[in-house]
Amino acid sequence: MSAFSEYRDVIKEGELVLVWISRDNIKPIKVDSNETFNTRYGSFPHKLMIGKPYGSQIAIRTKGSNKFAFIHVLQPTPELWTLSLPHRTQIVYTPDSSYIMERLNCSPRTKAIEAGTGSGSFSHAFARTVGHLYSYEFHKPRYEEALAEFEEHGLIHHDKNVTITHRDVCANGFSIRSSDVTSHKFNEGEGSVTIGANAVFLDLPAPWDAIPHLDSVISKNEKVGLCCFSPCIEQVDRTIEALNKHGWDDLQMVEIQGRQYESRRQMVRTMDDAIERLRDVKRRKNEGLERRKRMCDNILNDQPQEEINDEKRPTTEKTKFNPFGKGSRIKEGDTAYKWKQVTKIEPEIKSHTSYLTFAFKVVNKTRDEDQVKSELDSL
Amino acid sequence: MDPLTQLAFNQHVILKLPSGNWKIVELKPNASISLGKFGAFNVDDIIGYPLGTTFEIYYEEEAETDNRDKNKIPVGKVRVMTESESVHNVTSSANNMNLVNIGNQVQGLTMEQIEELKKQSVSGEQIIAKMIEAHGSFDKKTVHSQQKYLNRKKQKFAKHFTAEYLSGSRMLQFLLEKGDTQRVLDLSQETMGMLLNLANIRSNGTYLCVDETGGLLVYFLLERMFGGDNGSTEKGRIVVVHENEHANLDLLKFSNYSDKFVREYVKTVSLLDFFEPPSLSEVESAFTPLPKEEAYALKAGKKNAYYRRLKWYNNQLEAISLATQVQYDALVCASTLYLPQLVPRLAEHVHGSRPVVCYAQFKEPLLELAHSLYDDLRFLAPSILETRYRPYQTVRGKLHPVMTMRSGGGYLLWSHRVLPAEEPEATVS
Repeated sequence: MSAFSEYRDVIKEGELVLVWISRDNIKPIKVDSNETFNTRYGSFPHKLMIGKPYGSQIAIRTKGSNKFAFIHVLQPTPELWTLSLPHRTQIVYTPDSSYIMERLNCSPRTKAIEAGTGSGSFSHAFARTVGHLYSYEFHKPRYEEALAEFEEHGLIHHDKNVTITHRDVCANGFSIRSSDVTSHKFNEGEGSVTIGANAVFLDLPAPWDAIPHLDSVISKNEKVGLCCFSPCIEQVDRTIEALNKHGWDDLQMVEIQGRQYESRRQMVRTMDDAIERLRDVKRRKNEGLERRKRMCDNILNDQPQEEINDEKRPTTEKTKFNPFGKGSRIKEGDTAYKWKQVTKIEPEIKSHTSYLTFAFKVVNKTRDEDQVKSELDSL
Repeated sequence: MDPLTQLAFNQHVILKLPSGNWKIVELKPNASISLGKFGAFNVDDIIGYPLGTTFEIYYEEEAETDNRDKNKIPVGKVRVMTESESVHNVTSSANNMNLVNIGNQVQGLTMEQIEELKKQSVSGEQIIAKMIEAHGSFDKKTVHSQQKYLNRKKQKFAKHFTAEYLSGSRMLQFLLEKGDTQRVLDLSQETMGMLLNLANIRSNGTYLCVDETGGLLVYFLLERMFGGDNGSTEKGRIVVVHENEHANLDLLKFSNYSDKFVREYVKTVSLLDFFEPPSLSEVESAFTPLPKEEAYALKAGKKNAYYRRLKWYNNQLEAISLATQVQYDALVCASTLYLPQLVPRLAEHVHGSRPVVCYAQFKEPLLELAHSLYDDLRFLAPSILETRYRPYQTVRGKLHPVMTMRSGGGYLLWSHRVLPAEEPEATVS
């Protein structure tokens, strides 16, 4: 069992864990009692993690400034793994991948095809849910990287439900033979892999070249679902053409828009308070004016200096009524003020990921008459 | 028959009708199913075909007019339908310049004539062909508008249906289209999909669940964990905590999981029993199981009473264990109870590092929950998420988002249960 397929209780030596430093800083590490995990907030010896339950907060005092610093140690899930990936690579994010998986009705009975593997982010989500995943990658270095990662994560040898193959599926189709560069271990006399996929995900620049090859690897006697993931509308158009030509039905293209909200607070500032504050300002201003007027009068009337001295510098008294904390920095949520809970959408959203084109196919629309008859007779 | 891939007897399936509506039916042997104006068919005729097959209902000879029951839909024969052909042998116009709207008069057939055709039970295709023939300005329409006309008429006269597997998503779609939006708390397929992934639902997990959707959420969980398979070798359990004396999992009656299967994998506990479980000593003092041989030896009347008590006893022990010993692998919650109280208390029973996912129709209850979880060190980074799908008219050369659609779909809160550490003592330097 791998870190992705079994629920683990306590953190152990050698396990893959995700260290949560902040929302956009999640790092995978392999627990090694001789190692230390360094962040700009401090150093965390792995020893502190071993033996603690997953989800534990690990707290330290920093060496120099003796400050409190902490991280959380989590067990990897496909969704957390996706968040931990560097954003530069093309990643299928959770709003898209989760919709695709639901629409293709993924479950332990699903045999899925995924081409190409890419960052491997979606592969992890598939592997968690489906019975078997056949992943294809045509770029050799990316294939090797993904293979190493899947092996490291236990998807290939422990869970045995992922097969990754180096292949240009557009040119050479999906069949896996013993001569291929693949993670599949062939038994004696086994010439090729029986795939029989009932869910297909194509994340390729030219899915229309791969679609004709699908017939030989999809399940013949059940409904098979397909999703093509393409960023451009022109690709969708050509995909629809190929799907129509090759007998795929129920075509529908959709877009998914995922959004995330921050929970924030906005100060409740009433108009009455604003008016009251203006009244206060006005009162103080009038006091100042009167003082100044008296001072001028005194000078004009040649009053004695002593008296003038008293009122020479009209002091502006500090604001008495300051309901909104003007002029000072107020922390959002400061209990001295009243707040309204609000949501704020992220400053930057993924306004377009890709178009998802779905299609379905039943290859063999016949029934076994003898079987039906015997079943009817047995009733 | 394999009910997971084929149409099998005594299975619930969902039928898609030409009108775009859905109908859930049970495939009882030797029975017929009526689809109203779309015809009727015998269950035995469709058994054994793959799920997802489209059938056309046809009538070979004029159905004998049965005077006793005029409203009874005659049962037709079925054949597997292949892709329907488009308009043949008609000319079309490049634009609609010459198309003048004169309303009903453009159709040469009268309402009575069409009704007569329908009574004769000629196929939908034939009725439509006759209507096109009698149409005064069909050739003045563009190809596109001819296609639209055809689709509209098909929705009315075509006699075909597609028999599909009743997945969680299809059950949801069925409920939404029939207007049960409130019953399912305005959930959408995309939000449900995201909930399942964020909660890391899979086989071999033990999940704590609050389901106010009448069992729909539980059905989605079951489908992810076992794939509709009564003979599944996968493990896992769902513990449903409910606010009424009995849990409402009504919708599971449409599922193809056996009662035995549901009893084994879905456990229900009331909020009261979950938070104030009976004590072991209370239960044990109320009842002591007998050794097996002694129980067998009991007289009939006594035996029944004994086994009833034994069932109660085992249920109590199980409730105690679910409420006090299990550390859950996720909390999934679709509830209108006050969340800032419900969620932290339930999440006490969630194992560290496991997800907490709450669905709500409105953003505000989740906002309040998010604020309260922020201040609670047992929860990591609560976030409010929204996901919406936007379907397109998917026809080459005419790709555009659909003009109107159902809105809604609710919101999710996603967080992880964590275990706060003591702040370490400041070291004396």
